[in-house]
Amino acid sequence: MADFALLHRPALAIAKSGSFGAPSTGKRITLTALPEGHVLHVLAARGGGDLTGLIPRIGDGSAHAVRPYGPGQWFVIGDASLSAAEIFGKTPVLDGKASISDQGQGRVRIGISGAAVEAVLAKGTAVDLALSNFPVGHSAMTLVGHISALISRTGAENFELLVLRGFAESLWDELIQMGLEFGVDAKTAR
Amino acid sequence: MASLIACPHCGPRPKEEFTVRGDAGITRPAPDAGEDAWYAYVYLRDNPRGRHKEHWHHTSGCRRWLVVERDTMTHAIYKVTDASAPGETA
Ligand SMILES: [Zn+2]
Repeated sequence: MADFALLHRPALAIAKSGSFGAPSTGKRITLTALPEGHVLHVLAARGGGDLTGLIPRIGDGSAHAVRPYGPGQWFVIGDASLSAAEIFGKTPVLDGKASISDQGQGRVRIGISGAAVEAVLAKGTAVDLALSNFPVGHSAMTLVGHISALISRTGAENFELLVLRGFAESLWDELIQMGLEFGVDAKTAR
Repeated sequence: MASLIACPHCGPRPKEEFTVRGDAGITRPAPDAGEDAWYAYVYLRDNPRGRHKEHWHHTSGCRRWLVVERDTMTHAIYKVTDASAPGETA
């Protein structure tokens, strides 16, 4: 038992908030600090076979809950925070074919949307984000500038970035800079 | 240095996303192989000109170890495979 309760503070609670850059271009970018619910890293056991049908059963059933990361690795994401017991309770579903690591306080989500969102993100990554190549539901782990992040498309003009907690505010500041030419509305968790 | 590496899992990515370990052709000696064999394994490397196989780690992507076959002179990339593929790693 811990001697004192850990105080959870959202990673972007004190990040920059408000409107920045060009006043009105019709292509404004919206940045949103998303709820720090659960982030589960699921890792396949060797020789576990194809698990693509199994992994969604770990999630909360919401769209885009499952985000492929690499061969045999997924992030399963949702807005509700889960206790250790609730996370442990999901392991029988995997039947020993994969294991779960709780990354809930290790990685945070940033929502970015707007008509120019592809152009803004293209300043940071070499991944081709055109809708034809990167459809809704697709994910890619890549560098955004010098910061590693999982980019997921959640809509035609909507993306989410999953980033290590300690880098979240730096990435937030860079995304504001990257969007200045279009104008940015940044909404933190306050 | 090659600038774009076509990761078999992620597609073409800039070299900044990768970490190079070096020669993929060397074999780890047996524990009792002796000092000379271990010294060579740990420290001695060729500096080849031309076609060369190396271990690259997709550190900022899928985090898989890859075997990249490239030309050290022309920077051409011939082949990129996952290091766990049969026959790729000694
Ligand atoms: Zn990769």
